Amino acid sequence: MKEISLEVLQDAAHRLMFELSDEELKTLYEEFQTLKKQMETIGKIEGVDEAEPMTFPFACENSFLREDVAETPLDRDEALKNAGNVQDGQIKLPKVVG
Amino acid sequence: MSYLDLSISELHEALVAKKVTPLELAQEALARAKADNNNAFELILEDEALAFASTLTEPEADNPFWGIPFVAKDNFSTKGIETTASSNVLKGYVPLFDAAVIERLKAKKAVLIAKATMDELAMGGTGTTGHKGITYNPWDPKHTRLCGGSSCGSAVSVAANIVPFSLGSDTGDSVRKPASLNGLVGMKPTWGRISRYGLFPFAPSLDHVAYFTRSVKDSALALNLLAGRDERDATSSLRPVEAYESSLEEGVKGKKFAVIKEIIDSTSDKEVLAKFNASLEALKKEGAEVEIVSFGERLLESIYATYFVISCAEATSNDANLDGIKFGPYYGGKSYQEVMMNARTKGFSKLIKRRFVIGSFSLMAENQDELFRRAQRARSLIVSRTNEILADFDYIYVPAAPSVAREFGATSDKLSNEYLIADNHLALGNFAGLPSITVPLFLENGLPVGVNLMGRAFEEKSLFQGARAIEKITGLENLSAVNKKEGTL
Repeated sequence: MKEISLEVLQDAAHRLMFELSDEELKTLYEEFQTLKKQMETIGKIEGVDEAEPMTFPFACENSFLREDVAETPLDRDEALKNAGNVQDGQIKLPKVVG
Repeated sequence: MSYLDLSISELHEALVAKKVTPLELAQEALARAKADNNNAFELILEDEALAFASTLTEPEADNPFWGIPFVAKDNFSTKGIETTASSNVLKGYVPLFDAAVIERLKAKKAVLIAKATMDELAMGGTGTTGHKGITYNPWDPKHTRLCGGSSCGSAVSVAANIVPFSLGSDTGDSVRKPASLNGLVGMKPTWGRISRYGLFPFAPSLDHVAYFTRSVKDSALALNLLAGRDERDATSSLRPVEAYESSLEEGVKGKKFAVIKEIIDSTSDKEVLAKFNASLEALKKEGAEVEIVSFGERLLESIYATYFVISCAEATSNDANLDGIKFGPYYGGKSYQEVMMNARTKGFSKLIKRRFVIGSFSLMAENQDELFRRAQRARSLIVSRTNEILADFDYIYVPAAPSVAREFGATSDKLSNEYLIADNHLALGNFAGLPSITVPLFLENGLPVGVNLMGRAFEEKSLFQGARAIEKITGLENLSAVNKKEGTL
């Protein structure tokens, strides 16, 4: 497992697209010390590394596809209603190229 | 005495007999919601509720939810009504559609009177982390104790007799734990039994729609309405819906209850243990078979870490769409990355950021096998053991929490078995997707403590039957912070 350091945690925050203040980082670092011990409880389970990972409680019962019927679930005005920066019927963002 | 102090079934009789109208009920519920001082609401929907209630003039005798006022946790999409999941990152977000459960309740003419506060994005179990601040436990007018969460406002709504029914969601114990701390019936059915379409996802492999009532019968009636296949949720089950209230009064003669030894051993409150034991004796008198069963300490003490790793990892991925671009406050920036960074830095609270980092850390390539995959493997072993026990027993029966609601600031040893096992075992029901219900057990110095009953997948009818037997033993049907009772244990 990767060594936990303030830099590693800040890196994780940046991958998640937010900043952590120095105080937030310090609290998180301290929290991780307890969390690491709690996580150790998992490794103590006999046979844990031989078990199959469980991703959902049950296998889904769906084995069919819905009919391919065209519909318009959302018109453009509706789709743009919740966006904070809209211009000419499109969401406006800073330039990506050039 | 107000009509709102009654159960859904009693209210229904009064509505059908035209002793009270849906409009009068909505008016009273709204007045109580506005007078609430526990910080239970994100939004009170006065105009919408009164307009809808005033259209309900002809009672429907075969529809128990006709004209019944209700509250929804603020992570259920409500068309045209701001829905924030108590997070600043979604401030101003107005969904364009109703969640499936909101649709069903509307179709049955139940009246939505408010959206309830919650722990931010449903991540938390205290009721203290929403963007509107702490939600208080209505049993403690001095406001010194936790309400529990994440469905805190929904719990208050029912415990303070503002409504007889509220919607919540339960990913680890977010309805069943606050039900214990607020003296309520909290029900989480089988994974897939109720559509999650329109519920903001937190950790989809663990998320369930769940709800509060003040009686087991009301809980069964609610599942009749909410359960069923929905093509918009691919995980919703095709199994037919049953008449869940039909065997409520059949008792527990011959039913087998497994009590988990390690959960009892890690509970230190003597009063909780004494009353729980008294309930076991009473169940035996009713003809039930009760057996103390060892689950395996290693498995149980790993529940908390397993839950934390899986839920934080899933949340990290699910909430990647909260970018301040398509919805939520837009703060600008020189690049689209900066736009996102600004929205997410300003929008998420400290706690949420920490949880996301924990999730991201456990998903890093170097850590994935040791943390995330290993937690998924542990889940598989924990679920196998749970199902093994339920192959021999009808129910697993345990205290829902180790004590009454704790005071703010009370600390606990986060590596103790009381914390890791007694305070966090309800996540078993989420790991395995099994139906699980909390009902009140007794009052300790005027504060409630609940018990939890878990059954086999899709056997909710039997679960309600067992829960009703416990409710009769405790004498706490229709308990609330307003309808105070002594109980009979």
